[in-house]
Amino acid sequence: MKRLPVVVAGTGQIQDVDIQPGTTAGDVLHQLNLQDYLLSKGPNEPFFAAAESIYDKVKDGEKIFASTKAEVGITVCA
Amino acid sequence: MRVTILGSRPAPASLLQMFGRAMRGHAPAIPVERRQIPYWQERGWQLNGNIYDGNYQTPYVALPGWIEQERSGRANFFLHNPPDEIRRHSHWTCFQHRGNGWYLIHMGKEPKDVSSGIITIERLITEAYER
Repeated sequence: MKRLPVVVAGTGQIQDVDIQPGTTAGDVLHQLNLQDYLLSKGPNEPFFAAAESIYDKVKDGEKIFASTKAEVGITVCA
Repeated sequence: MRVTILGSRPAPASLLQMFGRAMRGHAPAIPVERRQIPYWQERGWQLNGNIYDGNYQTPYVALPGWIEQERSGRANFFLHNPPDEIRRHSHWTCFQHRGNGWYLIHMGKEPKDVSSGIITIERLITEAYER
Protein backbone atom coordinates (compact mmCIF):
# COMPACT_ATOMS: atom_id res chain seq x y z
CA MET A 1 0.00 0.00 0.00
CA LYS A 2 1.16 3.55 -0.74
CA ARG A 3 -0.02 6.79 0.77
CA LEU A 4 -0.37 9.76 -1.56
CA PRO A 5 -1.04 13.36 -0.67
CA VAL A 6 -3.37 14.66 -3.39
CA VAL A 7 -3.20 18.44 -3.76
CA VAL A 8 -6.32 20.05 -5.16
CA ALA A 9 -4.68 22.75 -7.29
CA GLY A 10 -7.37 25.40 -6.97
CA THR A 11 -7.54 25.45 -3.19
CA GLY A 12 -4.26 23.86 -2.14
CA GLN A 13 -6.24 21.48 0.03
CA ILE A 14 -4.34 18.24 0.60
CA GLN A 15 -6.15 14.91 0.92
CA ASP A 16 -4.26 11.76 1.77
CA VAL A 17 -5.28 8.57 0.03
CA ASP A 18 -4.04 5.02 0.44
CA ILE A 19 -3.79 3.12 -2.80
CA GLN A 20 -3.23 -0.53 -3.57
CA PRO A 21 -1.85 -2.20 -6.70
CA GLY A 22 -4.29 -1.70 -9.55
CA THR A 23 -5.79 1.53 -8.21
CA THR A 24 -6.61 3.80 -11.14
CA ALA A 25 -6.57 7.58 -11.36
CA GLY A 26 -10.35 7.39 -11.78
CA ASP A 27 -10.67 5.43 -8.52
CA VAL A 28 -8.77 8.14 -6.66
CA LEU A 29 -10.79 10.98 -8.17
CA HIS A 30 -14.04 9.16 -7.50
CA GLN A 31 -13.02 8.50 -3.89
CA LEU A 32 -12.21 12.18 -3.41
CA ASN A 33 -15.39 13.25 -5.21
CA LEU A 34 -13.39 15.16 -7.81
CA GLN A 35 -15.27 14.02 -10.89
CA ASP A 36 -14.31 16.84 -13.22
CA TYR A 37 -10.62 16.71 -12.36
CA LEU A 38 -7.49 15.09 -13.74
CA LEU A 39 -4.53 13.73 -11.82
CA SER A 40 -0.89 14.36 -12.65
CA LYS A 41 2.47 14.40 -10.94
CA GLY A 42 2.77 18.07 -11.85
CA PRO A 43 2.60 20.51 -14.75
CA ASN A 44 5.54 18.92 -16.49
CA GLU A 45 4.08 15.44 -16.45
CA PRO A 46 1.17 14.16 -18.52
CA PHE A 47 -2.24 13.59 -16.99
CA PHE A 48 -3.08 10.08 -15.87
CA ALA A 49 -5.90 8.55 -17.87
CA ALA A 50 -8.92 7.67 -15.75
CA ALA A 51 -8.47 3.95 -16.35
CA GLU A 52 -4.71 4.03 -15.85
CA SER A 53 -3.29 2.18 -12.87
CA ILE A 54 -1.14 4.66 -10.96
CA TYR A 55 0.30 2.41 -8.24
CA ASP A 56 3.52 1.62 -10.12
CA LYS A 57 3.90 5.18 -11.39
CA VAL A 58 4.03 6.97 -8.06
CA LYS A 59 6.24 6.66 -5.02
CA ASP A 60 4.92 6.31 -1.52
CA GLY A 61 4.37 9.82 -0.18
CA GLU A 62 4.77 11.52 -3.56
CA LYS A 63 2.64 14.61 -4.01
CA ILE A 64 0.22 14.47 -6.92
CA PHE A 65 -2.03 17.21 -8.25
CA ALA A 66 -5.69 17.27 -9.09
CA SER A 67 -6.61 20.04 -11.48
CA THR A 68 -9.72 20.72 -13.50
CA LYS A 69 -9.86 19.79 -17.14
CA ALA A 70 -8.75 22.62 -19.41
CA GLU A 71 -7.47 22.86 -22.92
CA VAL A 72 -5.79 25.58 -24.91
CA GLY A 73 -7.50 25.87 -28.23
CA ILE A 74 -10.26 27.10 -30.44
CA THR A 75 -12.37 25.06 -32.80
CA VAL A 76 -9.81 25.15 -35.57
CA CYS A 77 -6.87 24.07 -33.45
CA ALA A 78 -8.38 21.67 -30.98
CA MET B 1 49.70 -5.43 24.83
CA ARG B 2 50.70 -2.76 27.24
CA VAL B 3 49.38 0.75 26.79
CA THR B 4 51.14 3.76 28.11
CA ILE B 5 49.07 6.87 28.73
CA LEU B 6 51.08 9.84 27.65
CA GLY B 7 48.56 12.49 28.67
CA SER B 8 44.96 13.60 28.07
CA ARG B 9 43.18 16.52 26.41
CA PRO B 10 39.54 17.58 26.16
CA ALA B 11 37.52 16.07 23.34
CA PRO B 12 36.39 18.42 20.54
CA ALA B 13 33.03 20.11 21.12
CA SER B 14 31.45 18.33 18.13
CA LEU B 15 32.25 14.91 19.62
CA LEU B 16 30.96 15.91 23.05
CA GLN B 17 27.75 17.13 21.44
CA MET B 18 27.32 13.88 19.51
CA PHE B 19 27.86 11.67 22.58
CA GLY B 20 25.67 13.97 24.64
CA ARG B 21 22.83 13.48 22.18
CA ALA B 22 23.32 9.71 22.21
CA MET B 23 23.20 9.64 26.02
CA ARG B 24 20.05 11.75 26.18
CA GLY B 25 18.27 9.85 23.38
CA HIS B 26 16.30 11.42 20.52
CA ALA B 27 14.14 14.42 21.19
CA PRO B 28 10.47 13.82 20.36
CA ALA B 29 9.63 14.39 16.70
CA ILE B 30 8.01 17.70 15.91
CA PRO B 31 5.12 17.34 13.47
CA VAL B 32 5.51 19.83 10.63
CA GLU B 33 2.25 21.00 9.16
CA ARG B 34 1.90 20.90 5.42
CA ARG B 35 1.18 24.17 3.72
CA GLN B 36 -2.17 24.00 2.04
CA ILE B 37 -1.94 26.75 -0.50
CA PRO B 38 -3.32 27.01 -4.02
CA TYR B 39 -0.98 26.16 -6.86
CA TRP B 40 -0.79 29.75 -8.11
CA GLN B 41 0.50 30.87 -4.73
CA GLU B 42 2.93 27.97 -4.47
CA ARG B 43 4.39 29.06 -7.82
CA GLY B 44 4.95 32.61 -6.62
CA TRP B 45 2.09 34.40 -8.38
CA GLN B 46 0.82 37.58 -6.74
CA LEU B 47 -2.82 38.59 -6.53
CA ASN B 48 -3.79 42.25 -6.68
CA GLY B 49 -7.54 42.77 -6.83
CA ASN B 50 -8.64 40.49 -9.62
CA ILE B 51 -5.27 40.37 -11.36
CA TYR B 52 -2.70 37.62 -10.88
CA ASP B 53 0.91 38.39 -11.81
CA GLY B 54 3.62 35.81 -12.16
CA ASN B 55 5.52 33.42 -14.35
CA TYR B 56 4.52 30.23 -16.09
CA GLN B 57 7.33 27.96 -14.94
CA THR B 58 8.69 24.93 -16.76
CA PRO B 59 12.04 23.11 -16.70
CA TYR B 60 12.89 24.90 -19.96
CA VAL B 61 11.79 28.46 -19.45
CA ALA B 62 9.84 30.78 -17.17
CA LEU B 63 7.58 33.16 -19.08
CA PRO B 64 5.89 36.23 -17.62
CA GLY B 65 2.15 36.25 -17.52
CA TRP B 66 -0.88 37.79 -15.96
CA ILE B 67 -4.38 36.57 -15.42
CA GLU B 68 -7.54 38.58 -15.18
CA GLN B 69 -10.33 36.98 -13.17
CA GLU B 70 -13.74 38.25 -14.17
CA ARG B 71 -16.59 38.58 -11.68
CA SER B 72 -18.23 35.53 -13.20
CA GLY B 73 -15.17 33.50 -12.20
CA ARG B 74 -13.99 33.18 -15.77
CA ALA B 75 -10.28 33.86 -16.20
CA ASN B 76 -8.32 35.36 -19.09
CA PHE B 77 -4.74 34.14 -19.37
CA PHE B 78 -2.01 36.31 -20.89
CA LEU B 79 1.56 35.47 -21.82
CA HIS B 80 4.32 37.88 -22.74
CA ASN B 81 6.48 37.40 -25.81
CA PRO B 82 5.91 33.72 -26.55
CA PRO B 83 9.19 32.20 -27.78
CA ASP B 84 9.62 30.53 -31.19
CA GLU B 85 8.99 27.09 -29.69
CA ILE B 86 5.42 28.15 -28.93
CA ARG B 87 5.02 29.97 -32.24
CA ARG B 88 5.84 26.71 -34.01
CA HIS B 89 3.36 24.73 -31.88
CA SER B 90 0.09 23.58 -33.44
CA HIS B 91 -1.81 25.67 -30.84
CA TRP B 92 -0.14 28.93 -31.86
CA THR B 93 -3.40 30.00 -33.53
CA CYS B 94 -4.94 30.06 -30.06
CA PHE B 95 -2.69 32.97 -29.06
CA GLN B 96 -4.20 36.36 -29.87
CA HIS B 97 -1.93 39.40 -29.89
CA ARG B 98 -3.25 42.15 -27.62
CA GLY B 99 -0.40 44.67 -27.99
CA ASN B 100 2.96 45.33 -26.34
CA GLY B 101 4.01 41.71 -26.75
CA TRP B 102 1.10 40.38 -24.69
CA TYR B 103 -0.92 37.47 -25.98
CA LEU B 104 -4.31 36.25 -24.78
CA ILE B 105 -4.45 32.47 -24.67
CA HIS B 106 -7.77 31.15 -25.82
CA MET B 107 -9.06 28.21 -23.84
CA GLY B 108 -11.14 25.69 -25.76
CA LYS B 109 -12.16 24.11 -22.49
CA GLU B 110 -11.92 26.61 -19.68
CA PRO B 111 -10.41 25.65 -16.35
CA LYS B 112 -12.58 25.99 -13.27
CA ASP B 113 -9.87 27.81 -11.37
CA VAL B 114 -6.79 29.90 -12.05
CA SER B 115 -4.41 27.21 -10.78
CA SER B 116 -5.70 24.65 -13.24
CA GLY B 117 -5.24 27.18 -16.03
CA ILE B 118 -1.63 27.86 -15.03
CA ILE B 119 -0.93 24.11 -14.98
CA THR B 120 -2.49 23.74 -18.45
CA ILE B 121 -0.39 26.55 -19.91
CA GLU B 122 2.79 25.30 -18.25
CA ARG B 123 2.09 21.88 -19.73
CA LEU B 124 1.62 23.43 -23.18
CA ILE B 125 4.91 25.35 -22.90
CA THR B 126 6.75 22.18 -21.83
CA GLU B 127 5.21 20.27 -24.71
CA ALA B 128 6.29 22.98 -27.17
CA TYR B 129 9.89 22.73 -25.96
CA GLU B 130 9.90 18.93 -26.10
CA ARG B 131 8.83 18.71 -29.75
